[in-house]
Parts: sequence; C-alpha cells; structure tokens
Amino acid sequence: MHKFGLAALAAALMGIGSTALAADCPIKLGAILPVSGPMGQVGERIAETGLFAVEQFNEAGGVHGCQVEYVLRDTQGQSAVGVDAAKSLVDLDGVQALIGAVSSGVSLPVLTSVAVPSKVVQMSCCSSSESFTALAEEGKTDGYWFRTYATNRSQSAIGAKLTVDSGFKSTAVIYVNTDFGVGLANRFEQDIAKLGGSITSMVAYNESQQSYRAEVTKALEGNPDSLYLVAFPVDGATITREWLALGGTDNLIVNNSLRSDDYFQAVGSKFLQNLQGYDSAQPRLPSVDSFNEMFEARFDSPPNGPGLHSVYDAVTVVLLAMEASGDITGENIRDNIRLVTSPDGVEVHPGPEGIARAKELLAEGKTIRYVGATGALAFDANGDVQAPKMTWRLDGDKNVETGYLSTAEVAELIMMLDE
Amino acid sequence: MIGLVSYIVFFLILSLIFGVAVLGLNLQWGFTGLFNAGVAGFSAIGAYTMAILTGPARDAVFGGFELPFVVGLIGAMIASGIGAVFVGLATLKLRHEYLAVATFGIAVTIQLVCLNWEYLTGGTLGLIGIPNPSKAWVDGPLAQNTLYLLVVLVVVGLSFAALERIVKSPWGRMLKAIREDDVAAASLGKSPERVRLEAFVLGCMLMGLSGALYVSFIGYVSPWDFLPILTFQIWTMLIVGGSANNRGALLGALIVWGVWTMSGFVISRVVPAEIQAQGGAMQAVLIGLILVAMLLIRPRGLIGEELHVSRHARS
Repeated sequence: MHKFGLAALAAALMGIGSTALAADCPIKLGAILPVSGPMGQVGERIAETGLFAVEQFNEAGGVHGCQVEYVLRDTQGQSAVGVDAAKSLVDLDGVQALIGAVSSGVSLPVLTSVAVPSKVVQMSCCSSSESFTALAEEGKTDGYWFRTYATNRSQSAIGAKLTVDSGFKSTAVIYVNTDFGVGLANRFEQDIAKLGGSITSMVAYNESQQSYRAEVTKALEGNPDSLYLVAFPVDGATITREWLALGGTDNLIVNNSLRSDDYFQAVGSKFLQNLQGYDSAQPRLPSVDSFNEMFEARFDSPPNGPGLHSVYDAVTVVLLAMEASGDITGENIRDNIRLVTSPDGVEVHPGPEGIARAKELLAEGKTIRYVGATGALAFDANGDVQAPKMTWRLDGDKNVETGYLSTAEVAELIMMLDE
Repeated sequence: MIGLVSYIVFFLILSLIFGVAVLGLNLQWGFTGLFNAGVAGFSAIGAYTMAILTGPARDAVFGGFELPFVVGLIGAMIASGIGAVFVGLATLKLRHEYLAVATFGIAVTIQLVCLNWEYLTGGTLGLIGIPNPSKAWVDGPLAQNTLYLLVVLVVVGLSFAALERIVKSPWGRMLKAIREDDVAAASLGKSPERVRLEAFVLGCMLMGLSGALYVSFIGYVSPWDFLPILTFQIWTMLIVGGSANNRGALLGALIVWGVWTMSGFVISRVVPAEIQAQGGAMQAVLIGLILVAMLLIRPRGLIGEELHVSRHARS
C-alpha cells in the first residue's frame, strides 16, 4: 500500500510535470508569496503588483521576444510549504529566478535549501531580517540573494542621528520582539554609542498584549531623557499612553511604522508635540511618480501598502537582468543584476516605454541604470539596498517633514557608523 | 526529467521527516490514546537542540559546538525526551480534551520561549548555517538531496522497525489495554500512569527527531517553523493515514503532504494568472475538501488498525 502510494504520486507528477520542461517560450518567473494565511492580505496585493510588473514587461515585448509567464505559488506563511513551492517551481517549472518570500522565516529556508544549491536567483520585496546579511557575509548565499527592501541598517542609523541631533543624552529603547524590532534595536544601540548618546535600558515587548505596564516600568529605570520606540500603531499607542501616564518624558523618537494617524489619534496628538520620527522617503524622482500613476490607472487605488513598490522593482530588475543574459540561467541573471542597476549606466524608468528603451540600450551593449518605483537601486555585495530617508515631527495634528537624506547621504552615514 | 526526479526526492525528504513525527504521535494517540496537541513544541525542542549541538559558533548565542550529525540526532531525542518527562509528569493525569488543551498551551509556551530566549535560540533571527551532512560528502543538489533522503530513510526505517517491534510486544498490548480501559488494566496489576508516561516520552522523542532532521536539511531554524499549524498537519496525517497503524502513519504523511503541495501546483497551472492572487484561498478550500472526502470514504483512515491479539496467537 505504501509503495503503491509512492508510485501513484510519481505517476501523477510525471503527467503534469512533463509538459513544463520542454518549451523555452514563454519564459517563466517564479513567485513565492503568502497569498493566504496570516500575511494573506498583504501578500495578495504584493502578488498582484508583481503580476502588474510582468504585464508591463510583456507589453514592452517580453524577454528575448518571449512573453514572460508569472507562476505564483502560495507559501501560506509556512516555511515547509514555501520551500516545497520554491523547489517545485525550480524543478518542475524550470524557473531561473524566484521573487519572494515576504516573511524572513520563509525566505531564508528557501534561500538555503533551494535557491543557493540550485543556483537560482532569489529576490525578495520584503524580508527584513539581518540574518540574510550575515549569511551573505559568510559567503553562504553565493551571491544569489537580493532584496529591494531597504534594510533596517539605515533606519537605526537615522534614528540614532535624530536622537543625538535633538540633544538627548540618555535614551530608553522599547522595541517589538520580532526579527525586525530586535535587529533594529540592536543596531540602534551600537549606532547611538558611536554618535555619543547613551542607552539607559533596552526592553522588548511581545505583540498584542492588553497592557505593557511591566515593560514601561522597566524602561523608566535610570531616568531617560528620551524614548526610542520601535512598534506598530496599536501596541505602540498602548505603550505610549502608559509611558506618559507613568511619568515618562514626552521626548519621543519613533520608527516609521508609527507615522500613522491611527497612532496619533489613539494617544492624542496634544500629548505628542515633542514626537519625532523618520521614514523611508519616497525618493523625489519622476520614476516614482510615474509608477504611482501607472499603478493607480491599473488598480484604481494608490500604491499604499507594504512591499508594492519594492516588488515591482524586484520583478523588473530580475527581468532586465534576464534580458541582459545570453542564456537565461540563474548564474547569468545574478551576474547581470548589477549591470542593469549600474551607477554609471544610462538611466531608464519603469513602464512599458522605459523598459522598451532599456532593452534597446542593452541590445546596443550599453550598461543601464534602472531607476524604479523605489528610486535608484544599488545592490551592495550582500544583495542589500539603501533608500533615502526623511525625518518628521508632529505639529498639531499634522506630521511635517524636518529633514531629507538622499541615498548617497544615507550610505555615507552608515559607512561612518560601520567604521 | 531530472527536474522531476529531483523534486520527488525533495518531496520525499520533507514528507518522511513529517512521517517520523507522525509515527511518534501514533504511539501516543493511536496506541495509547493520549491526545497530544503539542507536537510542534517537542519538534521545536529537537530542532533547536540539533542547531545548538551541530551549528557553528556565534557571538552572543549559546552553543555552536559543531558536533557530528549523529550526535545532534541523539541529543535532540534526549532533549525532547527530557522535556516530555517534565510535561508528562505535570499533565498526564489529565484525560482527552483536558490533556489536549494543556499540551497545546505548552507547545505555544515553548514557541514563545524560542522567540524570546535570544541567548539560547537566537530569538526571532533564528540560527543560521546549520550544517547538512550530505553537503560534506557529495556535490550537486540532486546528489546531496538523494544522500539526505537515504539518511532520512534509515531513520524512518529504524523508527518504524522499533515501533512495530514494541507495539507487538507485551508492552504494546498493555498500551492498547490502557487505551481501551485503564481501570481494567490497573486491576490486572498494570500501572497506567507509568505506561502512559513511557509512551508519551517515546513519542515526543520521535517528534524531536523529526525537528532535528528538518533543521539539518533546511540549514536554518526559527520560531516560525513551530506554529500550531504544524501540530494540525501532523494530526491530519495520522488521522488520514489511519491511527494505530504505523504503515498508515507513514502513508498519511505522504498523502497529506502530497495533497498540501500538489494542490498549490495544480492551482498555479489551472487558474488564470489574473486571479491567482486569490488562488491561495482556493488552495485552502481544495486541501480541506480532499481531506474531508478521504475521511468520509475511509473514516478509520486509509489503513486503520489491524486487529489481533498477539503475534503468537495470530498464526
């Protein structure tokens, strides 16, 4: 019975699998995204935006004259399911590049057990964990890992700079206990020491609790003159209310996820008049506006939501790198990604016309610089990118911009801190 | 064609790794009637033990002993066994749904400990770079995976043979006696508490073994691998395959994991690209439908319990 089951399974796989391996056209691009499960709502929009990027590329003639087929598989937010989906895309569909996943807990297993051994490029829109950078630094990604999500590295740097520039000397840190929060808070601790500030306490909190009195009480020890808060709106509001109620200072520095009216209203704007924060700035570039317009025309809503800009760029960069490759193999795509995002290349923009132009330039043997929905992408040796940053503070009910750092300035700041 | 073979090897590795945990649950539920809803927790203990014993040294994280793979496997079984002794002593007085609620809570607690005890587990960042022994021996993903499949097959084979042996022994008959009527068993001088604990610990050791095999294969462990959905999957595998039958447990692992993954493959083939983003929901519906249909057709599982008194009496 057991053996019979295996044979039946193998036969079933062969029946469906065999057609997939033969044809060269259309060219397939694999996407592994959580379109159901806890991240389903976020993942669905990301998946649709990925398809939109493929459609635009096809409108410009596709890759090597072939239409690109976007093969989407659901990870259900589970690592084992995601790993299987990726392996199936690579082995049965023959994809040479994977887009995804969203959560780091899925992207990393896919990278180590599928993408790297199979020599397939993996580009994520959204995974923020520092483990990827660590893995790349150890040489364990073989260069197949990329992400268009600007890493936490710049967030902690700008947070620390903002804190020190505001004249705060002793800062308490409260952060959400996820890979995002932990990575950010630990970097912040190092950065602020470099810039001459100091930390009074580092307190992690777990999400979705009724009260954070214990965490806040602990953070109040040592009389900090400021609080750096890495949180999301609902829990962030609970923490801030308790912090202020227990006599904490109103000198608050918050991460970008708290730049939200929900948060301001839940705490009460009048208590937050010394609130400052930072955010990934939309780069001030025509390429970004043109993406926003095209997106709105297609979906009847603005591209607000995590991962939409970055997944569009992930797909487009990978397809451009395919176009630049003679043979479409994972290795060639990997090597050509920097060729299509080269700082001294000819600038090209998103949209069918921009892509058509990029293809012409590539055909002429020129290097190009894709400036996309997230601005100019420059992948470092670990496959990470940086983004421009802005700082803001609350004035009445409105949050107003107080500063802007371009990608180059952000890179300079990080280099100084990493020395 | 090579792609197909390569995928089947990969599929078998994952499903047989689940199969080891299903065998463990089968000993607990199928033969002894213990409703353990904390499979993910014991799997996590084994997985992290493997990662700590065999992984590379890290700053600020305990462990990194770089011990051999086999030591990791044995260590994982011992650690999850020790965990099971404590959990068992505390909870095995509870019956049925009460035990289920208690073990479920413990599994959630273990997951939260993994999430928060950074010094031991790396917290949310997880532990990277856990060596896969097959990568030291051969080159190329297919050869490596085939070798790892052989390793998994050996582990599954040994577990299966050992379980078959013990459930047919007098001890195994005692398990069933306790499952059916523990008062009657106690009246014959048996100690249900003690035997339940033994079965619970043995089963949890297999769950730990399964977790250890998984992290070595994937090379990474994070708390997100041990959410309650894992427990649900292992249970589904056992119920579909047929509880109180070790062959059924393994078959269930293959079939359920097959349905779980093939449904995604089929959806990506038949559903037009424009509405594929909604395909995730369809996949969940499809998985549910197939499982319900199987249980309606074969309510005792694909291969249920074989009825016999003793291996001596059967002939």
